[in-house]
Amino acid sequence: MAIQRAIAAEGKVDAGPNWLLRDLMGLAAVLAVAGIGYLLFPNNLALLTRITAIALLVLSLDLVTGYCGIATLGHAALFGSGAYAAGIAAVHFDITDPFAMAAVGAVGGAAAGLLAGAIMLRGRGLAQLVLSIAIVYLFHETANKASNWTGGSDGLAGISPDPVFGIFGFDLWGRTAYVFGIAILAVVFVLLRLLVRSPFGMLCRGIREDPVRVSAMGASVNGTLLRMYAISGAVAGLGGALNAISTQVVGLDSLSFTTSAEALVMLVVGGTGSLFGALVGTLTFMWFEDFVSAINPFHWLTIIGALLIAVVLFAPNGLYGTATQLLHRVWNKR
Amino acid sequence: MKKILLSAVAAVALCSSAFADTVKVGVVGPFSGPFAIQGKNFKAGIDAYMALNGSKVGDDDIEIIYRDLPQADPAQSKALAQELVVKEGVQYLAGFYFTPDAMAVTPLLEQANVPLVIMNAATSAIVTKSPYVVRTSFTLWQTSAPMAKVAKERGVKKVITVVSDYGPGVDSEAAFTTTFKAEGGEIVDSIRMPLSTNDFSPIMQRVKDSGADAVFAFLPSGPTTLGFVKSYNDNGLKGAGIQLLAPGDLTQESDLPALGDSALGMLTTFHYAISHDSPENKTFVEAARKAIGNPAELSFPSVGAYDGMHVIYKMIEATGGEQNAQKAVDAVKGMAWESPRGPVSIDGETRHITQNIYLREVAKADDGTYYNKEIATFEKQGDPGLAAAK
Repeated sequence: MAIQRAIAAEGKVDAGPNWLLRDLMGLAAVLAVAGIGYLLFPNNLALLTRITAIALLVLSLDLVTGYCGIATLGHAALFGSGAYAAGIAAVHFDITDPFAMAAVGAVGGAAAGLLAGAIMLRGRGLAQLVLSIAIVYLFHETANKASNWTGGSDGLAGISPDPVFGIFGFDLWGRTAYVFGIAILAVVFVLLRLLVRSPFGMLCRGIREDPVRVSAMGASVNGTLLRMYAISGAVAGLGGALNAISTQVVGLDSLSFTTSAEALVMLVVGGTGSLFGALVGTLTFMWFEDFVSAINPFHWLTIIGALLIAVVLFAPNGLYGTATQLLHRVWNKR
Repeated sequence: MKKILLSAVAAVALCSSAFADTVKVGVVGPFSGPFAIQGKNFKAGIDAYMALNGSKVGDDDIEIIYRDLPQADPAQSKALAQELVVKEGVQYLAGFYFTPDAMAVTPLLEQANVPLVIMNAATSAIVTKSPYVVRTSFTLWQTSAPMAKVAKERGVKKVITVVSDYGPGVDSEAAFTTTFKAEGGEIVDSIRMPLSTNDFSPIMQRVKDSGADAVFAFLPSGPTTLGFVKSYNDNGLKGAGIQLLAPGDLTQESDLPALGDSALGMLTTFHYAISHDSPENKTFVEAARKAIGNPAELSFPSVGAYDGMHVIYKMIEATGGEQNAQKAVDAVKGMAWESPRGPVSIDGETRHITQNIYLREVAKADDGTYYNKEIATFEKQGDPGLAAAK
């Protein structure tokens, strides 16, 4: 119920004539945070780049879970497919231009999304959740077995992307990787804002609320969801490719159940069904994780657990969802 | 104003002088999660070394900075290493339990001007990835190949191999198979089982049916090992005289209390046993047990960490605390010393540790505890895995 109310509130605001302004403000906020991160933590760009890559995964998860209502614990399958596609292109086919690698990653992710979607959409509810877990394990095991291509459990090493535009190399300090990642994130963010507000995006939300009614209206439920899955796969694949480019190694963990589950946790922390929620959740969770694990590398998981419980108890709609709700309440009182 | 300026200058001067005298070492390992016990062993080895040799080299204080990496995650590993180098200003990187994590860091080293001392990760190829990598642990080729010779000497003709289907398992299988065939033995079958296998009865049946005289096995240490050894006994393989051969990961000291009688008489080859009889080892075990808290948890990663610290101390001494990776690595090439595990040296060409590999038998001590009893020694073993890869 609470989620529906939040969505209704969001829908109301979106319907206004100022949506373009709001989008530009959103983009400005993302870029501002990215810029502040660059200036405040010039020595921590590797972490920030990793956050950017995972943010793409969480955004893509939000597309299917938040907007379409598909429960999945296997979304890393798409992220890892993108990472391996970009990595294999670089190692085995000498495609080392970072933009080309990102494109290969997006295509690989979309293909994995189509495949995963085609299977997942056969089930509903719990069955769907179980299917998603099965899929991520299948992807993981396939990558493990095909060690000639993927390096198996040793990881796919030896990825060396060319400098961006032939000038900016990917180095130890990670400036290029960070700017490259933020540029990808900004473009994806704008496109997704347009997507979720488009008739197609509205149809997806309709399906989440009542699939029977949507099909009675004559729209294809599974066809729409499958298309969304492919788009989501492309976004996750971009994240995977960014990870492959910036870390220059792809490991089996990028296809793991753990990564999938963590992405879902980040989405819940931030708030489902909103692109900002996905970004806020990723940033909060990963920054907090890094911060705590540096302070106490031996018992930090306990503190993470406490954070999660606190969020679920005191901000059930996620940090962003609850914050907007509070703002609306204050607004309406005036 | 002048006062503030002066104190600011003084503060900067103080800071920088304190900074110059501290050499930081970044250690990455699993300190939480299912592999936390291995990370604890890293820390115990490092603490033991610093307790015995002081926390200073010349005028330089040594500071260890730990970062947690609970499971194999190369991307996170690289991010942590980058952070350690760029933000914390470490001059040395060390630790690394899993191969992919170590592999991910190697491309950074040259640009960062930082040597990497590997305290566990055991795939042969890591040392070839950068000239700044030095390894003080072992490789599975190193510990598995001598077992093939033992088998041959003991009159075993036909062997079946059973390994977990992942990097180290495959390495171990290749090492044993290659060496055993070179010795003129026969491999009747090679089984690779998924890492998550819990029920080993069907596998034991296949071992029985294969007509082999012995089974060579490798599984990662932990609960699965217990199940495997138990199943080996329950299915009557021990009674049928089919010998169980394995590298020492299977009889890691921290697993022995749980394995109990079922492991008695099991033969393993490995580079280190806590029971190793030497004055160096007595000193080490005493200090490391104190550092780890629970003596039963002490096992082989601690000795890799201990010797890793020895190498790092030598590097710091050779460079006088200056950051110079090439000079540091050159200084330890060919270096030989008496480690708790026996005489060891760093091979000048591969930068991997040359060491004795021991044949051990699980035995019961007078006080009822179990230990790995060393019964034969293969002296000065290099890493056959690198030669095989060429």
